[in-house]
Amino acid sequence: MIAPNRYRRTLLLLAGALAASFLIAVAVGAVWISPWTSVRLIAWKLGISARPSSVPHSAEVILFQLRLPRVALAAVVGAALAASGTVFQGLFRNPLADPAIIGVSSGAALGAIAVIVFVGSGALGAFAVPLAAFAGALLTAFLVYRLARIGPAVHVATLLLAGIAVAAAISSVMSLVMSFSGEQIRDIYAWLLGGLVGQGWQSIGAIVPLVALGVLAAGLTAHDLNLLSLGEERAAQLGVEVDRLKRRSIAVGALLAACAVSMAGVIGFVGLMTPHLLRLFVGADHRRLLPAVLLAGPILLILADLVARTALAPQELPVGVVTALLGAPFFLYLLRREGRRARARA
Amino acid sequence: MRPPRSRPFPSLPTLAVALAVVLAGCARAGAPASGPSGPTASTTGATFPVTVTDDDGVAVTIDAPPSRIVTFAPSATEIVYALGVGDRLVGVSGPFDDYPPAARRVEEIGGAGEFGVDPNLEKVVSLQPDLFLTIAGGDRWKDRLRDLGVPVFTIDSTDLDDVAHDVETVGRLTGTTDTAAEVASELLSQADQVEQRAAGEPAVSCFFEVFYPPLLTVGPDTFIADLLDRAGCDSVSDHAKADYPTWSVEDLVREDPRVYLVSSESGVTARAVAARPGFGAVGAVAAGRVLLIDSDLVSRPGPRIAAGLKLLAEALHPEAFA
Repeated sequence: MIAPNRYRRTLLLLAGALAASFLIAVAVGAVWISPWTSVRLIAWKLGISARPSSVPHSAEVILFQLRLPRVALAAVVGAALAASGTVFQGLFRNPLADPAIIGVSSGAALGAIAVIVFVGSGALGAFAVPLAAFAGALLTAFLVYRLARIGPAVHVATLLLAGIAVAAAISSVMSLVMSFSGEQIRDIYAWLLGGLVGQGWQSIGAIVPLVALGVLAAGLTAHDLNLLSLGEERAAQLGVEVDRLKRRSIAVGALLAACAVSMAGVIGFVGLMTPHLLRLFVGADHRRLLPAVLLAGPILLILADLVARTALAPQELPVGVVTALLGAPFFLYLLRREGRRARARA
Repeated sequence: MRPPRSRPFPSLPTLAVALAVVLAGCARAGAPASGPSGPTASTTGATFPVTVTDDDGVAVTIDAPPSRIVTFAPSATEIVYALGVGDRLVGVSGPFDDYPPAARRVEEIGGAGEFGVDPNLEKVVSLQPDLFLTIAGGDRWKDRLRDLGVPVFTIDSTDLDDVAHDVETVGRLTGTTDTAAEVASELLSQADQVEQRAAGEPAVSCFFEVFYPPLLTVGPDTFIADLLDRAGCDSVSDHAKADYPTWSVEDLVREDPRVYLVSSESGVTARAVAARPGFGAVGAVAAGRVLLIDSDLVSRPGPRIAAGLKLLAEALHPEAFA
């Protein structure tokens, strides 16, 4: 048990770090805009002061139409991925669960691509792609859970194998769906490769309520996920309706992953790393872990995107490359540690 | 250029590469641009048999004037028709071989490989070609075809002058040297006229969009960059490190090019470009100078490349070419 004081301090620290990374990410980009110029422009937008006269129009456009929405989107997607990872790790009672690793992100991607090919991205309005991504993520999560579970437990090996097998199958189906596409292939590539590029305030505004809904629902399952960590039988004895909890957490984790994927494509490892690192500081209690990852996930993705935008500027890297470079070694470290633990138990 | 097969997750770099190949209309300028890298002559006779070293460095011997030609690139198809031997074509790569229209009636041999970028080897062999003309890339299947006795010849045009050179090379391979010389000199003189006129105008800052989002453009070593340069474009991306780099929209806004060129492969309208976040602040977009460029004309290193150059020059200097 970690003292409430220390927990509060950790949250404050994370909030401060989030604010700082947000500011740095807004201040730094392919084009240099001085912090003072940014502050004056923001003060003007907020109606505090008059428009600074010496600032070129291009700086204003870069700041408000390109950089701020991108950083904001990175924050929203980072929060969704981290929360999704937290829920899946709690559900699988396994620290290696991540929406990308267990195939849920691929499922979401398949749903999105299927809608783009067979319905058209604009046909059903802004929610068609997120909804289809949600359906794909939901089905995949159920499937992987059924496959990975042997008896009462989900072992690391079966979880990873089930995730890899399902993701491979989904990848083939994706290629199949794409071979039916004609003109829409551009929309698909735009969506697969676009990442955090090209999203305006409008599309971010559309996804925020869905993420908020997912976060709220995740918060409501937090207590039951704590009890589930004692084992299904024990949780049931303590009054948890275990099957309902599982269905609910799968739906919540899938919704959050789908929100992230429908906005920014498949970005791996954020959902894996964030809950993991935060457990070291705030413990395994999901009610404490969730607020912490909601602050830390955005920090991670904002900074990863900052690297993606600036490392080769004016060229850009896909943000998923940066998260994978960070996350893959982390994943391998965890895998080895889990292996050693399993051997120690045997 | 062959992407690896099955992966558990779709690999974005692979998709990007495939995308670049598709969008560039199969006209990827290769290797460092150290002058025309055209076939170096080592002809053993004025007529047949003829031996020429291709752009992959392979010496290819053709014994008699080919009567069953297969092309595996729209640009190669256009060259064969321009030399007046289109009736000897028995296979083309696929639906992109659409010029001249007669090419659409020739059998298609493409389609294998993850993105349909490899020829179907069984189909190729069944057509019994006595000349297989293709572009750079695909070393593995080229080796297979050579093992199967198919004379594979690679032309890799690095710039406009090299296109003329490659036209003449195909002329030697097909026994149409006279026509080839005419086509090549016509191409060069047309291009020269355009360049002369463009040279009289100040260079215009411009940006060439291949795709969005993310914003993909062309690097300085590409075939299109060479054309842009000749047409009088001072390209925003002329210091890029990659051939098809992802470009920062922030940088585009700062560089503020006067002309914004969009490959027609990108499939957008000028209005759609203006509606994207941030693009309204680019001078070219605000001034309505967003121009869709027929990518077949500028990305296929074939006989129509002079027309592509003219198209670009007109877009950049409308007054001078009015």
